[in-house]
Amino acid sequence: MTAALALSGVTKRYDSFALQDITLSMPEGQIMGLVGVNGAGKTTLLRILSGLARADTGTVEVLGHAMPARQVAVKKDLGFASEDMRLYKSQTLRWHMDFIRSIYPGWDEAYATDLLRRFDLRPEQALAGFSHGQRVKALLLLNFARRPKLLLLDEPTTGLDPVARDEVLQALADILRDDARSVLFSSHNTRDIEQLADTISFVHQGRLLASKDKEAFLDDWRRIICQGTWQAEKQAWPEIAMMRQNGSLLELRVRQFSEGLLGRLQAQGLEIRSAEAMSLEDIFVTTVRAGGAA
Amino acid sequence: MKLPELNVPVIKQLIVKDWILFQKQLAAYVTGGIFALCLIGMAKGWSFYLGSLLLLVVMVGISCFSISTSLLVERKEHTLAFVMSLPLTPLDFYLAKLLGNLVTFFVPFLILSVGTLAVIAFTPLPDGLVVFSVLIFGFVALAYSASLSVAMAVESEGWNTFAMIGSMVLINPFIMLLGQIPEITSHVKTENIVWSLPAVAILLVEIVVSIAVLVATGWVHCRKKAFY
Repeated sequence: MTAALALSGVTKRYDSFALQDITLSMPEGQIMGLVGVNGAGKTTLLRILSGLARADTGTVEVLGHAMPARQVAVKKDLGFASEDMRLYKSQTLRWHMDFIRSIYPGWDEAYATDLLRRFDLRPEQALAGFSHGQRVKALLLLNFARRPKLLLLDEPTTGLDPVARDEVLQALADILRDDARSVLFSSHNTRDIEQLADTISFVHQGRLLASKDKEAFLDDWRRIICQGTWQAEKQAWPEIAMMRQNGSLLELRVRQFSEGLLGRLQAQGLEIRSAEAMSLEDIFVTTVRAGGAA
Repeated sequence: MKLPELNVPVIKQLIVKDWILFQKQLAAYVTGGIFALCLIGMAKGWSFYLGSLLLLVVMVGISCFSISTSLLVERKEHTLAFVMSLPLTPLDFYLAKLLGNLVTFFVPFLILSVGTLAVIAFTPLPDGLVVFSVLIFGFVALAYSASLSVAMAVESEGWNTFAMIGSMVLINPFIMLLGQIPEITSHVKTENIVWSLPAVAILLVEIVVSIAVLVATGWVHCRKKAFY
């Protein structure tokens, strides 16, 4: 399968932040969610992928082209929207649509009209009168309607009210009906990522902590509640990411769950009370706090 | 050496975009400039000085407006990120911004410059003013080119404001300097348009330095592979 994007050994250093040794790839047709706290390096990574920033070391390929050398060819098939990107306040949405249509021959006017209706946007209104949610939806419309092969979205749902967020997520889900389209979107809202993404990558302090299939993430991780006290050497249990003793109850957060693990815990004299699946947010928080791979 | 490939259609679209965005304000500036020319054309002492002052203010205003709206405000309001996400390289972006700025500045600038020369030619004002006026307009163009280059090369708002105000404020000392050159001043109040050696030299310096700073900025952008 062709890779929509591939990074190998990518680093980018700023005065107070460094993206370190990022190796990551995403096959065509996938939605990848990039999860990280503010300042984790998500925006830098997306800027490198979109050709806006140049990696200090490593190689970057997007849609089969080297970046940033072939950025014009890539950007013709790329949609990129970031949280800090703004449109021209003095102009109407219609003006912006005409402007983008003049640059992208693949502009789909029928789809744009459908999005206008779905997002409840008025094309003749100047952007100055738009709310934050409307501005985000307008920017996404301008990206979606050009029918890009790859969409890079940096925090697309940040600051949106629940209704607007749902509309945006629904539109994202719709455009992914076409298997040839790929989306990489970053967020610190794990619920959005969990709802949409096929693959999830955790970024923290400029490093890629993990990148896996969403189902694998959710299947691998468990919260196990035991009765008893932990007495073994923790180093001998690499699958345990975090443990917390609360009176006689022991909570374990496990990164590589298996039925065999439960037997081994019982052999340690622990009584298993429950072994439940974890939310993506819990998995992310545990991974970050454990400071290692997920 | 391999010449860089330019995305000419997108560059054109961006120039048109800048023109559309700023045309109303530029029309207002030109209207102010025409009013100034009317005052100058009355050829009376008070109206000449008032008109000249207003004309300079309008020209400085056009220069600062063009740079600040197309570069500084776009940067501040994050619309530049939107433009940079379009299919263009840093060099395409530089050329689009440069040409867009040159259009938005030089169209009203040339209208007012030619208008000034016409006013001098067709009113009782002495024709000797032509050389003096052209040299001042040349200085405004030089100050504009320098400010534009700084704005394209430096992101700091403080440095950009300093460059714009600093270069434009120098118009006063420049006019005083011209007033100290007898080969220029001696013909101002006559009907003769005399391009003396110092006048030609000053004009050449203005043109060459204006072009040089823009080319130097272009060379820097030509070497950039990415925007950040």
